[in-house]
Amino acid sequence: MQNTLLLTIILPAVAVPLVYFLGKKSSKSAAFLIVLTCLINIALLSTTIPTILNDTSHKYVESYYWIPVLHASFTLFVDGISLSMAIITMVLILTAALFSINYMQEKKGLAEYYALLTLLSIGLVGVFITSNLMLFYFCWELMLLPSYFIIGGWGYKEPYRAAFKFFIFTHAGAVFVLLGIGAIFMVTGDLDMFQAQTALMTANPELVKWILLSLTVGFAVKMAAVPVHMWLPDAHSEAPAPMSALLSGVIISAGAYAILRVSLGTVFPAVMATDFGNIFLHGLTIFGIISAFFGSLIALVETDIKRIIAYSSIAHMGYVLFGLSLFPFQEPITGTVLHLVNHAVSKGLFFLSAGAVMKQLEIRDIREMGGLAGKMPITATSSTVAALSIAGIPPFACFMSEFLIFVGAFQTINIDNFYLIPTALMLIATVLSLAYALRFLSHVFLGSTKHEKVADAPSFMKLAMIILATLVVALGIWPTFFIQLITSASFV
Amino acid sequence: MIALLDVSLPIIAFISFSLLTIPAVKIIRKRKSGKTVLGLCWFLAIFIVAGTTVANLALKYYAEPSPQPFLNLSLIEGSSVIFSSVFLVDAISVYMTIIFTIVGAVIFIYSLFSINPNEKLSERYYAVMLMIIGCVVGTALAGDLLTLFIFWEATAAGSSFLMLYQKTAKSLHATLKYLVMIIIASAFIIYGLSVIYALTGSLNFWEVKHALASLADKHLIEIAFIFIAAGYSIEAAVVPFHMWLPDAYTAAPASSSAFLSALVDQGSYYVLLRVLIYILTPPTVLPWTFMFAVLSALTMVVGNLLALTERNVKRLFAYICIADVGYNLVAITSVTPLGIMGNLYFFLAGGIATALSFMVVGIFNSMGFKTLDDFSGVGRKMPFTSLSLILAAFSFAGVPTFAGFIAKYLVFTSAIEANMSWLAVIGVLTSVIQAAYLLRLINYMYGRKPNAEAEAKIKEPKKLLVPIFILAIAIIFLGIYPTAVLNLIDPVIKQFPFMP
Repeated sequence: MQNTLLLTIILPAVAVPLVYFLGKKSSKSAAFLIVLTCLINIALLSTTIPTILNDTSHKYVESYYWIPVLHASFTLFVDGISLSMAIITMVLILTAALFSINYMQEKKGLAEYYALLTLLSIGLVGVFITSNLMLFYFCWELMLLPSYFIIGGWGYKEPYRAAFKFFIFTHAGAVFVLLGIGAIFMVTGDLDMFQAQTALMTANPELVKWILLSLTVGFAVKMAAVPVHMWLPDAHSEAPAPMSALLSGVIISAGAYAILRVSLGTVFPAVMATDFGNIFLHGLTIFGIISAFFGSLIALVETDIKRIIAYSSIAHMGYVLFGLSLFPFQEPITGTVLHLVNHAVSKGLFFLSAGAVMKQLEIRDIREMGGLAGKMPITATSSTVAALSIAGIPPFACFMSEFLIFVGAFQTINIDNFYLIPTALMLIATVLSLAYALRFLSHVFLGSTKHEKVADAPSFMKLAMIILATLVVALGIWPTFFIQLITSASFV
Repeated sequence: MIALLDVSLPIIAFISFSLLTIPAVKIIRKRKSGKTVLGLCWFLAIFIVAGTTVANLALKYYAEPSPQPFLNLSLIEGSSVIFSSVFLVDAISVYMTIIFTIVGAVIFIYSLFSINPNEKLSERYYAVMLMIIGCVVGTALAGDLLTLFIFWEATAAGSSFLMLYQKTAKSLHATLKYLVMIIIASAFIIYGLSVIYALTGSLNFWEVKHALASLADKHLIEIAFIFIAAGYSIEAAVVPFHMWLPDAYTAAPASSSAFLSALVDQGSYYVLLRVLIYILTPPTVLPWTFMFAVLSALTMVVGNLLALTERNVKRLFAYICIADVGYNLVAITSVTPLGIMGNLYFFLAGGIATALSFMVVGIFNSMGFKTLDDFSGVGRKMPFTSLSLILAAFSFAGVPTFAGFIAKYLVFTSAIEANMSWLAVIGVLTSVIQAAYLLRLINYMYGRKPNAEAEAKIKEPKKLLVPIFILAIAIIFLGIYPTAVLNLIDPVIKQFPFMP
């Protein structure tokens, strides 16, 4: 089909009002409509797989008329990396919608909630499937708006406070991205990522340096790398569980994807040969290590069930930053993108199962829980799968990708022995992640039962968790599909 | 080919209809039945006729792109006549005419519903509004400094009536303040103009420009420039001359604030743009850009910080108007085609957003909700009205998919192009402050519980939602598909090396 990618944007856009009006009558059918759009979108995206794998350019591109004055065309493109991210995004939105059926049952204003969720899916998919920086920025902020209202409207405690923090931090990051994009437009006269890459090669390196820094700082805020992570624990823990799953699974991954695609893919080649290029990559490594240790250590002492997982997300973004700093070698980049995919599924599952526990017990302190394994077998199993995957235990998903990152790191040490100590430190950090995962499991599910009258999660919540748990195991045993897709994409 | 008549018809139409409105409304008021319908028909007829004259001008202008960047139409032929009114038609003035007419019409609908036509003196209110539209259109089409000055002062004088309409003590005080400032400003301008006239022997844009560019001694130009720039800065409310604006806009009725912010404010930026970039400069004659860059940074920072500390919602939006002056100045000081496009887009986007927010705040004010605390929890009770305010808020904050984003993008990019990245950085950081206090407003509207006694008063006014929704849809449309408007402004890029 000719307009496959355009349809993936238009379909949810058309679905927004439909979902809203359907949701006014029955919120369940609204959720099913979202599931349906996600399924159709996955099917649409999958039709591009043959082109990506077999075509010589390994890309699938569509371009439409938009704002010619600003050189902004509505360019949609997928290569292996974009496609993997887009598909996993759709899967997560699908499960989030399914999970919401039971999880959000008693809440008010569900029509608005589902409509916002659909709106969010446009931004989330759009970020991954465009190569025009203006459209990219549109989608980038379109992720922010619905999330703000979902966290604020349906969150816990003081939700608008957490949402405010989330909005201001990431919006402040985004304006730096905007400055970078504006500067790219000024220097190259173009807003297409691939054309800008060639044009930047001849630009003034001093300016390119600032563009690179400005963009990367902006993206790092969304990614919640350590000095700019403050919004994440609040936003993730106060949001309703399906939203936390999306925040942690996809939205922060979008930050990492953007660093890879825009900072490293478009701007970095222009300064790669200079000293600054090296310093920049080493800087990423250092912030990666700090994030990994900071996140893991706090997750070890945190007692709020969702904050543990939130901090673990910071730790995992540390691994991703470390992986990105090994640019432009093939294995670590493949590993990093694969880790984004695997982390999205595992962390999504982790948040959903934590949400199930919270929903059934109505408490959030893990010290007051215990012995739930027998009462909530499905939730316990999926939590275990998620926790072990997060800890990097085979045969679960994250093991494969972490393994690939470390293989890449060892190869890089041969060329640049700066990476020797960071790699060793990162290996230690994985031990820490095992520690907090086991602490979580033992506190919540093992030990003596403190709650007698607890039933397992309702059926749709179970279904959502089972889908993701199956995926985590499947991706751990057979990652070939995504690896093939990701390696087909080329950088530099 | 555009004739003098095509250019002057919109101005004549608005001004003559404004004079006719007073007897017409009085006659309609005396009738026993069908008052509302007749009144609506009268104003609809005015806007159809005036709109046709504007459309005629626009179609003629865009139909055959003339090789010349502008058209120079003189009321009396022959260059020897010193004081002949001259009109200028280029993409900028045609564009301004279009947006003044359209935005003016939408706000007019709002004032028809919010100011009761059966009230005594209301006919004068409508007449002044029409008169002001005519005068700002005249300002946009003026081709010499004197015509510009006359039309612009007429606009300012009319504005004071709009502020004064409710005749409360506060509005009297605010209007007095405004009038004093405006009179000082016009004295400055007249003084500057007399110096310019002494130097060049003309007030015609082109002749002034040529004469100034070739002048050897720059001392007198500097004096003239300082006076003229200060005068127009006072009228545009550039910090440190901004004090009149918050008082005036807070004391004025909602429809007046919306009208003033959308038309008169944008008109004042237009005048700054025209006078600074097209006539008195180029910066090679006088290096004025840095001075205005500093003023612009100051305006952005002060405007936003004042808004951050403000708890009266209407006043908060008045401060945003000041901040908007700063963003417009960023583009003006960049002196690039992109900057001028940014300005022109900002005129529309900013005008719509401020008008929309004043309209919505007016509805809330009429229910007695004034401060942030009063706004607690209104979001859930009045979903449509509140949603429109949110759209305006995000447009102000420069979030994509809303009109304000494209405007800010153009403005900041032009600053980077002009090698003033520091200004762009200040601009984006103040935008974040803007996002912060606007989110605080949203937080109050949605995140808090309404107090019980206020809840009883809440009722969505159906009629007033019509103009509000027109502007709300415009904000989204302009944010998603700006090409529709950018194509109108596009000729500016080709005309950029100014006037020959």
